[in-house]
Amino acid sequence: MSLAVLLATMRVQMKQSFARPMFRFCLIANPILNTVLLYEMYRGSGEESFMAYVVLGAGLMGLWSCICFSSAGDINRERYSGTLALIFVAPASFPTIILGKIIGNTLLSLLTLGISLVTAAVLFRTPLMLESPLYFLFALLAAVAAFVVISSVVACLLTLSRKTELYMNCIEIPIILLCGFVFPVSVLPAAVRAVSYALSPTYAVELLRMSVWGVEEPAAFWQKLGILLGLTALYAVLSALLYRRIDRRVRVAATLEVA
Amino acid sequence: METVIEVRDARREYVSRSGVWKREKRVVKAVDGISFEVRRGEIFGLLGQNGAGKTTTIKMLTTLLAPTGGSCRVLGCDTFGEEKRIRPRINFIFGGEMGVYRRLSARDNLRYFSNLYLLPRGEQEKRIERILGLVDLAERADDLAETYSKGMIQRLQIARGLINDPEILFMDEPTVGLDPVGARMLRDIIRRLKEEGRTVLLTTHNLAEVEELCDRLVIINKGKVIARGTPEEIKGGFDTLEDAYVKLIEGVSA
Repeated sequence: MSLAVLLATMRVQMKQSFARPMFRFCLIANPILNTVLLYEMYRGSGEESFMAYVVLGAGLMGLWSCICFSSAGDINRERYSGTLALIFVAPASFPTIILGKIIGNTLLSLLTLGISLVTAAVLFRTPLMLESPLYFLFALLAAVAAFVVISSVVACLLTLSRKTELYMNCIEIPIILLCGFVFPVSVLPAAVRAVSYALSPTYAVELLRMSVWGVEEPAAFWQKLGILLGLTALYAVLSALLYRRIDRRVRVAATLEVA
Repeated sequence: METVIEVRDARREYVSRSGVWKREKRVVKAVDGISFEVRRGEIFGLLGQNGAGKTTTIKMLTTLLAPTGGSCRVLGCDTFGEEKRIRPRINFIFGGEMGVYRRLSARDNLRYFSNLYLLPRGEQEKRIERILGLVDLAERADDLAETYSKGMIQRLQIARGLINDPEILFMDEPTVGLDPVGARMLRDIIRRLKEEGRTVLLTTHNLAEVEELCDRLVIINKGKVIARGTPEEIKGGFDTLEDAYVKLIEGVSA
């Protein structure tokens, strides 16, 4: 893996993403609107920590939307602009290029958490407490890794198909619901919860929420973090295997370009 | 002279399926058993009607597509299986306004592709400056590509195609939409590449351009080779290559 390629791709991706009005909407307007919506939903619910569900929920929804419509949507944009074929046959490894794009987008998309926080603080003047900032930092880093890896799997699968837009719309809301971005997963039926706990973002969200409330049992935090990192590693292996396969598959199926 | 491109009985089919319940399979033979060779330092033309299989052939040679049958070898390597050894040594330019990042400047586009071609950092800027001058984009190098005219975007594509100093350059209708000055500039670049000993495989509908540039050519129709030789050999008794071409196409379509 070339670090120069990774960094150059991250830089180019951030420039390009920010230049797109739709990305700016997802990055800036979306978390503001979601914060207002969630605040109104949670206002009379008895939940005292607006930080855990309103700020974090809106921020994570915005983050996931940015990832879906950029990391995934970029495959289609590259395909329609004729650059997917160019980056695919460049001597730099294709997975490194895709990883650079995803890291660039994810780092930029983290802004949604800050925007959500500022919105809640300015509009509603509610107390926003973060009880365990150090744990939050660990949880955030692990969450970023989890989102990067899951995006990489999605982007890889989307390289194989031309129905990218359909799929990226299909995965946005289900992940928000299944992974408990805006409500605890415990309210979901048991069968659905089984799916939730197979998805790494569920653990990331729970870890972030634990650190907002305050980590009273560090062992429980570290155990959950261990599961998250384990799942992330598993997804990373899956992603690496998939990328090895698509290199041949896309050239047989001719999906690099628009027909 | 060394053979750098070798196509043997190459075939490529596209399979599509339609219908929701009863899926109907449709197979289109885009390339149907073509063979030809290109020697180092040649400008080689690939001619044919729209849909004849020219672009598919170029895509197989540039490692973008797997052949369904036969073999395509570039610089002694199989394009499907040994692509990693080919890719750093070739490049390609597709006509039209695709293939550049429009929200980046020409310089940023070239910087990015020079990274993707793993060029040493110290060499990148020098080469970018030289190529920008070559395609006459130096003055607008820092403007976003989305503000460029069609011709300027095509020149940027040409610049991108030259970024790794390719031994073989594949060009698919590179002069489509170029104004006469831009088209002449491209022809000059192609001639200069030949002088430097590089190989160019070119598809175009501009037969005067073929006569002017190509050492040898093949004409393909419905995925099969129907003629091959130097422009003079193909012209035969006709006044122009265009007359000979039209006669050949009419002959196989009759």
